[in-house]
Parts: sequence; structure tokens; C-alpha cells
Amino acid sequence: MVFHNDAETVLNNAFNIDASIAHIAHWLPAQGPLKDFIHHNTLHAVQNHPFHEGVAIAAKIFGARSYLSLNYYQNLYQEGRIKQNALTWAIEHSGCDHQIQEKLKISLFDDDPTGHYPPVSLANQGIRTSWLTELEFDLNSQVHPVLFRLLSNFLDQGISRWSLPKEGECFWACITRLAQNSLIPLYPLNEPFVHNLLNQSPDEVIKICLDKIVGDEKIYEQYLLEMLLGHPGWSGMVSVIEQNPKSLLAYREISLKELIAIELCLELAFLLKKKGHQFSAITDISHPENTPYLKEGATSPKIPLRLKVWHEAMEWSLHSELLIALKQSKPNTKKSIIPEAQALFCIDDRECSIRRNLEEVNPNIETFGAAGFFGIDFFYQGLDDAYPVAQCPNIITPKHLITESTEKPKPIANPQLKKIKHMHFSAHSMLRGLFYTQTLGLAYAARMAWDVFSPGSKLPKIRALSEVDTHSQLHLLRESDEPTPEGHLLGFSLTEMADKLTGLLTNIGLTNHFAPLVVVIAHGSSSVNNPHFAAYDCGACSGKPGAPNARAFAWMANHEPVREILRERGINIPNSTRFIAALHNTSRDEITYFDLHLLEQHPAPSLTTFQENMTEALDRNAAERCRWFELAPKKQGNIIAHNHVRERASSIFEPRPEYNHSNNLYAIVGRRQLTRDLFMDRRAFLHSYDPNTDSEGEIMAKILSAVIPVCGGINLEYLFSRIDNSVYGAGTKLPHNVIGLLGVANGVEGDLRTGLPHQMIEVHQPARLLIVIEQTKDIVDKTIGKIGPLKEWLDNEWVRVVSCHPDTHELSLYSANGWESIKLSDTSKAPSAESSASILAGKTTTIPVHEFIRSRA
Amino acid sequence: MNGLILSSLVLPFLGFLFIFLSEKNEHRIANISFWFTHAMGISIITLLLIWGVSGFPNYEFEWFTLYQTADYRFPIIFYLDKIGAVYLFCVWAIFSIIVKYCRFYLHREEGYKRFFMTIFSFAFGLNIVVLSGTIDILFAGWEIVGISSFLLIAFYRHRVQPVRNALRAYTIYRFCDIGLLLGAWMSHLLFHESQHFSELADLFNNLSMPPAGYASLWLVSTLILIAASGKSAQFPFCFWLPRAMEGPTPSSAIFYGALSVHLGVFLLFRTEPIWSYYYLTRLSVFNIGLLTVIIASLSEKTQSNIKGKVAYASITQVGFMFMELALGLNDLVLIHFIGNAFLRCYQLLVSPSIVVHMLRVEGSTDSDFYIQDSHSRFQFLPKSIRNVLPEVLQNTLYVFSLQEGNLELLVRSILWNPLKKIGIWINKTPLTLKLIYSCSTFALFGLIILITRSGTEYIAIPVSALMVMTSLSAFSIKHNPIGVWNAIGLSSILAGVAIWFINPDALYDIGLFASGIIPAWMLGIVVLIKLLKNDNFATTPFAYRAFAETQPRLSLLLFLSFLGLVGFPISPAFLGEDLLLSHASNKDPWFAMPITIAFVINGISAARVFQRLCMGRVNELNIEEDKLKQVSKSN
Repeated sequence: MVFHNDAETVLNNAFNIDASIAHIAHWLPAQGPLKDFIHHNTLHAVQNHPFHEGVAIAAKIFGARSYLSLNYYQNLYQEGRIKQNALTWAIEHSGCDHQIQEKLKISLFDDDPTGHYPPVSLANQGIRTSWLTELEFDLNSQVHPVLFRLLSNFLDQGISRWSLPKEGECFWACITRLAQNSLIPLYPLNEPFVHNLLNQSPDEVIKICLDKIVGDEKIYEQYLLEMLLGHPGWSGMVSVIEQNPKSLLAYREISLKELIAIELCLELAFLLKKKGHQFSAITDISHPENTPYLKEGATSPKIPLRLKVWHEAMEWSLHSELLIALKQSKPNTKKSIIPEAQALFCIDDRECSIRRNLEEVNPNIETFGAAGFFGIDFFYQGLDDAYPVAQCPNIITPKHLITESTEKPKPIANPQLKKIKHMHFSAHSMLRGLFYTQTLGLAYAARMAWDVFSPGSKLPKIRALSEVDTHSQLHLLRESDEPTPEGHLLGFSLTEMADKLTGLLTNIGLTNHFAPLVVVIAHGSSSVNNPHFAAYDCGACSGKPGAPNARAFAWMANHEPVREILRERGINIPNSTRFIAALHNTSRDEITYFDLHLLEQHPAPSLTTFQENMTEALDRNAAERCRWFELAPKKQGNIIAHNHVRERASSIFEPRPEYNHSNNLYAIVGRRQLTRDLFMDRRAFLHSYDPNTDSEGEIMAKILSAVIPVCGGINLEYLFSRIDNSVYGAGTKLPHNVIGLLGVANGVEGDLRTGLPHQMIEVHQPARLLIVIEQTKDIVDKTIGKIGPLKEWLDNEWVRVVSCHPDTHELSLYSANGWESIKLSDTSKAPSAESSASILAGKTTTIPVHEFIRSRA
Repeated sequence: MNGLILSSLVLPFLGFLFIFLSEKNEHRIANISFWFTHAMGISIITLLLIWGVSGFPNYEFEWFTLYQTADYRFPIIFYLDKIGAVYLFCVWAIFSIIVKYCRFYLHREEGYKRFFMTIFSFAFGLNIVVLSGTIDILFAGWEIVGISSFLLIAFYRHRVQPVRNALRAYTIYRFCDIGLLLGAWMSHLLFHESQHFSELADLFNNLSMPPAGYASLWLVSTLILIAASGKSAQFPFCFWLPRAMEGPTPSSAIFYGALSVHLGVFLLFRTEPIWSYYYLTRLSVFNIGLLTVIIASLSEKTQSNIKGKVAYASITQVGFMFMELALGLNDLVLIHFIGNAFLRCYQLLVSPSIVVHMLRVEGSTDSDFYIQDSHSRFQFLPKSIRNVLPEVLQNTLYVFSLQEGNLELLVRSILWNPLKKIGIWINKTPLTLKLIYSCSTFALFGLIILITRSGTEYIAIPVSALMVMTSLSAFSIKHNPIGVWNAIGLSSILAGVAIWFINPDALYDIGLFASGIIPAWMLGIVVLIKLLKNDNFATTPFAYRAFAETQPRLSLLLFLSFLGLVGFPISPAFLGEDLLLSHASNKDPWFAMPITIAFVINGISAARVFQRLCMGRVNELNIEEDKLKQVSKSN
């Protein structure tokens, strides 16, 4: 879109730096520094195209694979995971005429080991590459190390001892200072022509350099894009920081324009040093026939038909597994009685199984799901935190700041002891280093042996999440309306609290029948030796554990004046009901309950039973997760399995503390009755919703505006990282090197790696998200009218949407052209089983949705 | 004890063989590595215990004589003393920790088998070095360590940058091999049979009469010092070490954190009698250490990535070890070595934790968090420097540190660029002109020989010149891998011819040498022709062709051919190289120089062809033409 709707640029052939940079920035990865991890659609740049077309365009630009190998799909077919009727469905929906369809049916089973190879692309075989081949000059290998070094030192957040920029200095000023005012030349900027250039502004420099290197304004933009795609990680990082400087802790002033100017200077300097002033510019040489051009190649993609059909068939097979089960499940008409306890979980797919296990342990517990920030968005600064962090999805900018305080005096840590514990990371002077290595080396031999040979044991290390001190207070109630210097409000007013609670409780349909105990369970994940730690935490909290949100929620819901306001609004929380906050550690499968000391005044007798049930559920959950870990104990019982997952989370040599969202596939928005009797193998994001209270689709619109970007983002990031792990993903974790606390790279002078590492996605089945909405088509249509730009996701099929009629369970598939009623063959039935344990026995791959046969008491 | 020494050596090799022969089954490989690591551990520990019980002797063991002629003997000798014992212990401890670590860390990694094979061959090489009794044996182990290092740096062969850095490290290794090869040869020359490490010290004990002259001792010491500083990343070769951190983290930890980087120190230990005899050579060891300490500790200050930071910290400590060695503080060096090896190994293993550590732990508990307290620590330069130095010197200091002392530029401009330029000039010259030049040179020499009536050995001078020229030409051929292979083969054959001129009796030994080189060369040519059948190489000479993925069998053959051509210790050419040198040394010492240079450059050129062809990532272009048509038809 960006390229064709900017007809102006094309028409008068004038090169406009700012417009071009805006176009280019659009193509760059949008992953921020490591400390937050926000899942997003890796291919956001082509989201305005239909899915398959967008993927093909991106492949042509980035040089990536679009699908897995033909072999992979054919194997799934052999194993029966791709069903014949799904294949037929996919062929029918392929959009080709009858003749081709017939041909396709045969050619789908041909052998073709290479069809999924990446196409000739702009990034790898563009005009810049063919020009450098012609010049016989490996320019990237010269420029990149120098450029990356300057960038990483400039942006460094605290690894190096001396930082590059002085206070408030921008990138361009900083580099020109070093280049112009140093006795040792900053190589290669000492080349006389380039050295003189540095006196000009970046705009001027870009024009002069491009004139010498490219020579034709028409292809300036393509050249710049190809140059930046030579190192997508760093270009993307600069672009992210330019747009959101607050994503860094130590503020840095940098822009894509400065990056481009410096890189062009470096290129020109190397060229001049090597080739003199007479080298031929890009327009002077002839390019191979198949060289892609931005205006043509990038917008007329070739979609590999066979792979597309196979991929759709796989997705439809997997999606049908859920749809069949939903269709045959009986609409639940049973009158609800007040349960023993209610538990509110995050929507996260990892909580899908713990909810099922908890309900299996005690059928009198009711569970709910909602986005893990529980509707309360704020900046949070814990007791020990150096800076406040946003606890909400990144589409929201919070206005409030919550701080933590404690009445207990902080235990005085012995500073000397602390220093010795972390000595291997702290900076030493040279002579101290000499002394330490001389004396303490053998101690490290012992420590290393200990860490490697008995991983589960506790050494004083980074605290596990579940050990977080729970005896502090959140400062929640606002005392004055005076904002802090950063413009945040310190705490919430009573009305604001009531607003937040009303919002969430109506969303999930919990407005009456409160149980005596409501446990609000956030989640986080602890792991060691893992720079991607933030990607393991709660996606709805921008990659942070959601504990503060759960605590805030429970506190507010317990606060009598807030309940007062809620009562006026028709939400009547009985006096006997207590809210408790807790944190589920998804890697260790442990739970921590917060603020239990508050129960002294208002006891909650049913908590003990709940805790016992939860412990049992966690053991079962750990055992269930073990089936994915090849080396984990499979049959020795839940306790051993639980010990194994704990060990995993604390071993320095374990690159897979957990498999996170590896299984994600479905998102179901509806009552728990719809899914309570289903075994979904940790594959579903579950959001609670009461279809009867939402005749205008307003509530659904609110839910979808979180579900689509958060769950859809997680799903697509996993999907693309799996399909091409070396372009869209971060490759294997093993050689990763932490650069400037910003990102990881392979080795010392590599480009930053974006996307997810191989160890997170290897068992993922890359299928798009299926959102099932328990609501009539008409109301869903109203909802879709209200979600604004997110409609693009649905119309272009980046996620699939199915409406499930609340009473009849009739299913319809959404498409931009209208609803299509889903016909599932009557003979196919979802498999059934007595309990989770009987389904799981001996299985190591994904399991289709099962229905539980329950003897209903 | 002899048996134990042998078993400590053979076990890692057997481990390598078993893994090589096993199928690609992770469990089986993990099992094999488990048993062999433990067996090796038991063997090493028992060996050390027995050695300790018998009173820590300097123990020498001659296994057998590999090759013998009238004036030449190549015995296989092993040697164990205090230094060897300390190194052996560290090798065992770190190797078994890393193997255990990797069994889980590399779980499900593509190349699991490849990794364990390489790491076992590394352990094999390392044990050879540590237990070697002569410089020749040490050199064999040295080569094995070098090649496994190359393979592990390029472990992720589908990415350009690891491949490039692997070659960079390999060229430095190869260059430093000149030092060791020539050093070995000169010690043959100077000390004859007595170049055993056990006897070296005695030779020099006789203070009244040194075993060799000042100049030659100085030369040997310098050569050895070059080899040691290359392997240990000392001045002026510091720059390769951080860039070699491309493989999986534990492999970087064991190679560049712990063991490989201390081999230079080991070499200096072993040859101490040679270089410590005169104060001048002692001083140069000290100076190398001092320069390294200064440059590396300054470079460390501006490393913005964690592995680079650890690498420079390690280099600095090794620099201190050089200085301590020069001062004769041997026991201190051993303690220092143990400390540094374990500390750096641990630091690298836990390096991914740095983010959590800095942002969560340090940020929370230490009040002097870098970012919060930005006025004291994380600044352009420390306050003391900022207050004292004028602006221009501050910038200079920073640039010096940022460019890591400009060492890479220095080495490149002194070592490689001139060689490349000569090579390019040779390749530019038309064939006829080349023929004319060489013929006229030969004619000239023939004439001189006829006139002066001297022996045919002077013909060796133009032959060896031709040999070096051919090598240089191979070094800078870009468009034609077969041409490179031919040039390397030709240059090796010329080496043989030159020796023949020098010493006509050496025909059998030359045959031995050729029996390694010629089959390797032939094999290489056949493989290259097969590989490039459907490929127009000259149009994209710089693309990485990823044949290791598309044609794994042929790639393996090409790798074997490469090993043969560079005289890797599995090939008879390795012994041949040594023999050629010894023949040269007996009559014409000058000849050692060109032949070594040719060997080294040949190795680099061959490695370069191998990496261009076999490494890289596949894409549409790698599909053969006919298949491509088929695909487009079916779509």
C-alpha cells in the first residue's frame, strides 16, 4: 500500500528523503529492547493484504520461506492429522477453476523437496547485491562490523564501562565528534572525501552519497531498503527507538536518517579506499534478469499453490477438531448453583490446562478467563525496581502509577557478600581482576560443577518469582490529584476503581452468584540463563508477571467503599465473599498467594481446600507438560514430573524452561459451559463472556480489541518464527550473545536477531488462530463494525473467526464476503474420554480435541 | 603408566570414531559421549594418581618410531610433568563439565552429532598437545585443535558471518603455524635428537657452552613466540578471539574461555629453556604480555556485548601470564591458568543471564545501578580521565579502545594485503608471459649452474620461487575454484620437485608426501567438477552455495580432500611435510622459509574455497535448473 499510494513520488521521480524513510521504516521489524517483549504480527507490513498474498510479498522482500516443506504436510496427511475432507475443503477454497482443481488433486502428492525454498528476494538478490558482485567487493563484511560496533556502543544500556555518547548527544553528532576530533582516525571515516562530507547535514550527506553510489533517483529508495535489510535487526531497533524513545532506560537520541547517513558514509569510504573515485555506480551496470524491483516484484507475488492448499488443509483439519466438538456438545441449560470457589485466570493458553485440571480435581470450582492485566492498567514500581514498568497490553498507555511499600524494615543485605556472589558480572579494575582470577578461580570450578551436576538445588541466585516477598503493600488509593513529575497519577480514586472492576466483571459475565472465595490468579515464569525471559511472562502485561494487577484487583474488590459503588451499579458482592490474589509460575508450576495477612480481619475458610486442590492440579499440570519434553520422566507419576519441571526452570543448561505458547491455536470467547467438557491440550486462549448481556456487541468489541492483537500477535509471531526461523525468527538460542542489554546476536559482531528463538517454537504447529465467539452472527457483525482498524485482521484472514450460536451451537465462518455456514460431515465425531490422564497416556505430539464423558452428579 | 597415557589419548579419539559411525540418534550419541568422557576421566585421574604416588617425576615414554631413515627419526614420544599434569587435570574437568552441559543444552539441535564429533576431536588434539614429548607431536595436536576450532566457529554454517569469522580465526592459526613449523624444524637443526622436552632443559644447563648461537636462538624463540601469541590471542593477534565466539555458547566457553586460549602459555612452558636463555628473548615475551595487557584491558572498557567483554578480560589475564612466565614465576602461572580457565568458562556459560542480572537483580538491590546513578559510572569516560585529558585526547582514547588498538587493520595491512596484491598481479599476467618469464628464469639458472659447475640444487631456487608464486596465485583466484585447487596441487608438487633437486636421495620421502597430496588433489578436482556441474560459478563468485546441505556426501569428500591438501595429521602428507623440511634443513636451510609459506597459504586458499562452496543458506537459486522448470510446470 505504501508504495502504490504514494503516486506523487513515482510521478515526478523526485526523491524525498523523509517520505522514503517512512516507507522503509514500515518494512523493518518492530521488536523493542529485551526488557519488554511484545508479541506482534511479524509481517505487520503486509497486513493490508490477504494472508497468503501478504506472506508471498514478504517472502519476495525478505528472502524467507512462506510455508513448511511439502514433505511436512504430506507426512501429516499420512499420519491422519490432515483429514481428507479438510484437503477437499482447501481445494474448494483455493479459488482456482475446476480444471486446475482436478490437476491439483494429483500433483499435491508429488515429491518436491525444494519447493518451499525462499524466492529470489530484494534483501538477498536485489540491485545492491548484483552491483557488489559486479564490483567484486564484499561491502557488507567491511561496513557491518564497524556500523554495528558504533550502534551497539551508542545504544548500550550498561554492559560496557565507557559509554559512547555524551549526555544529550545524538548519533550523528557523536560519530562526527569522534571522526573529526581524534588523533587516531575513526576507520574508515578518515577517507578524505568522506571526512569532508561529515561537515554537512545528514540530509545533504545522504543525497551526495546516493548520487555517487546509485546515480538514479528512481531507485534510491530501493537501494536504501536493500541496504537496511542487510541488517534488519539493527535497522528495526533504531526505528523502534526513534518512534518510542521511552523503550530505553538510558535515553538515546537516534533516528533512521542518521543511521542511513552514517552507513552510506561508511560504504562510500570503503568504496573509495578500495576502488578509487572511478567505481561504477548502480545505474552503470546491467543487472541479471531475475533481479527483483520494488515497484514490480514486491507487489506481484507468486503464491506457491500446492503449499498454500496444503497449509490451508492443515489449518482446517486442526480447526475442525474443535468445531466438531463444539457442535456436538449439548447446550448447557443447567441452572447454576453457587460454586465453592471461583478462580479468575489469564486468557493465556498455558492456563487452559491448569483450569481443566483444577476443575477435574474439584468440580465445584468455577473458573473464568480474562486478559491477564485484569482490566487495570498502570505503571508499577515494586520495592526493588529501579524504574516503573507498564503493566498492561502495549496498545494502552497507562495514566496511573502504583508503588509498592513495606512496613517491615528492609533486611540489610551485606554489601560485601552481595559483591562476592555476583562477582563474575561486576566490573573490576585490571589489577583487581588479576587478583581475583589468581585466587578465586578454583572456587568457580566448584561452582560450575555444582550448577551443572545438581541443577535443582538452590544456590544464592536470582530469586524465583514464587519467592517474591509477599508482605508488602501496594499504594493503590490516590490521596492527591497532583500528578508526579512524569505526569502519572499516584494511585486510583474510588470511582476509577469501581469503573475498572465493573468493566472486567461485566466482560467476563461475573456480576452475580459470587462464591465465598474468588482467587485472582496472574501468571509469570521464572527461568535462568535466558535473555528472552520477558517473552515467557504475561503477554497481556507487556511481558511482565501480572502479580501487581492481581493484587490490585483483589484489593479493590475487597475494599468496602468500592463495593458500595459497585452495588449502586447493580453488582452485588456479598459481604462473605473474599478476593485473594495469587501468581501462577508457569515454568515451575508453583503458586504464590498474596496479602494473606489481610485475611486476619476477614477470614476465608474455603481457602485451605482451594489451596489443596490447587496443589494437586499443579502436579497434574506439570505431568501434562512433561509429555512435550523429550528427556522428561513420562510415567513415574506427578510428583517426579513436578520436580522435573522445577529443575528445568533452574538449570543453567536448559534452553527450554517451558514451551510457552507453542500449542496456541484456538481462542474461545464465551461461557465456560461451552468448553468445560472439552480437552483442548493447552491450545486455547479462553476468555469468559456472557452472550446474553450483550445485545449490541459492545462488550464483545472490547474483548476482541484485546484478543485480536494480543492472541493474534502471539499466534502469528509463533507461526512465522516456526516457518522460517532464520529470517523471521531468532535462530537457535545456543550461540546468542547479549548486545548492550538490548537484544541478542549471533556472535560478537552479528546483527540483532528478532522474533522467537528456535527452542520456543520447535514443536509448534504453525496454523493461524481460530477465534470462536459464542454469539449470534448478527451481533458479531455489529461488533466487527466497532473494532475499527482491527477489522483488517479478520477481512484479510490473518485470524479466522467463527460464530457459535449460543443456543443451537450452529457454526458460521466469517469472511470479508459474508458468513459461510460450516458443514461438518455428520459421521465425524470428536473422540471422547473419561479423564485427562487417560487421554494423555503415551502421547508425545499434539492431541485432537476430546470430549469428556462425565457422570454428572 | 604408559598404558594410561595411551588410553587417555586414545579414548577421546575412540569417542570421536564411535560418534562418527553411530547414526544420528541423539540418545545414542549422548550415551557414547557419557561413557567415553567417564572412561577418559578415570584414565586421566588414575594416571595422575599413579604419577603422584611415584613422586611427581618428569616422566617420558617413547611409544614407537613412526619413521626412520639414516639421518632422520620420527619417534612418538609422550611426556608428563607438573605442567602437563595441571593442564591434563583442567582438560578433564572442563571437558567433562561441558560434555554434561551440552548433552542437555544441545538437545534437539540440528548438528548434535557434528558438535560432539568436533568436541571429541578437540579433546583428542588437546590431550596430544598436553602429553606430547616433542615439538612434532605437539604440532600434530596443535593442527587438530585448529581444525576443530574452525569447524566449531562455523558450526552455524548457513549464516555468512560465522563462516567468515571461522576463516578469520583459521588464517591466524595457519599463520602462526609458520612459527611452529619453522620452530620445530629449527629445533631439529639446532638440537638434533635432543629436541625432546625432557632433554631441552639439560641442554641449556651447561652454562659455559650454549647449544646454539645467539642469532639462531633468537630466531627460534621469535618463531615460537609468534605461534604462542597467535593461539593465545596475544599482541598483535588479540582481535580474533572475540570474533570466534560464533558457535554454541559452551563451545566458546571451552575453546576461547578455558582451554584453547591457554595453549600458547603451554607452548611457552614447554620451550622455556630455549627462549629464557637470553635476556633479550625473555624481554620480548614480557613485552608481548605487557602490550597485550594494555591494549586488551583498554578494549574491554568499550565492549558493549557480554562475550566480547569476557574475551578481552581473558586475553588480559593471559597477557599477565606471559609476563609472569618471563619473570620466571612458573608456579604462579599455573595457579593463574587454573583460575582464569574456570572463571572465564563459567562467565561464558552464564553470560545470557546478564540481562536479568543487570536489569532485575543489580537494578533492585545494588544502590549504584548504572542507569539510575548515571553520574558516577556509566559515562563517556571516567571522571578522572574527563577532568584531566583535553577533548581531543579523550576522543582518541575512546577510538583506540573502540577499534581495539587497530590491531586488525595492522595485521591485515602488513600480512595479507601485500600477498594478495602479488597474487592478483600474477593472475593478471597472461599465460604466455608467465611461461616466458619462468622459462627464462630457468634458463638463466641453468646457465649459471653450467658456468659455475655447481650442483643441480640451485635449480631449486627458481622452482621454489615458482612454488610460492603459484600459492599466491591460488590465494587470489576468485572466479574459479578448480583453478585454486590446481594451483595448490601444483605448488605442492613443485615443493616436491624442489626438494628432489636439493637432495636426489629423498625420492622415497617425496613419494610419501605425494601419496598424501596427489590423491587429495585428484579427489578434490572430481568433487568440484561434480558439484559445479550445473552452476555458473563466475557469475556469482561470492555467493555461499550451501552444498553441505544440498550435497552432503560430496561436501564431506571435499572436506577430506581439503584436509589432505593442507597436510592434516591424518594424511601421510603431514609426515611428508616434516620430512621435506628435514631434508631441506640438512643441506639448504633457506628453503624452509618458502616451503612453509607455501604450505600455509595453500591451507588458507583451500579453506576459503571450501567455505564458499559448502556453507551458506539454500534458496531458490540452489535448485538445479531442470528441477526449477518442473516446479513451475506443476504450479
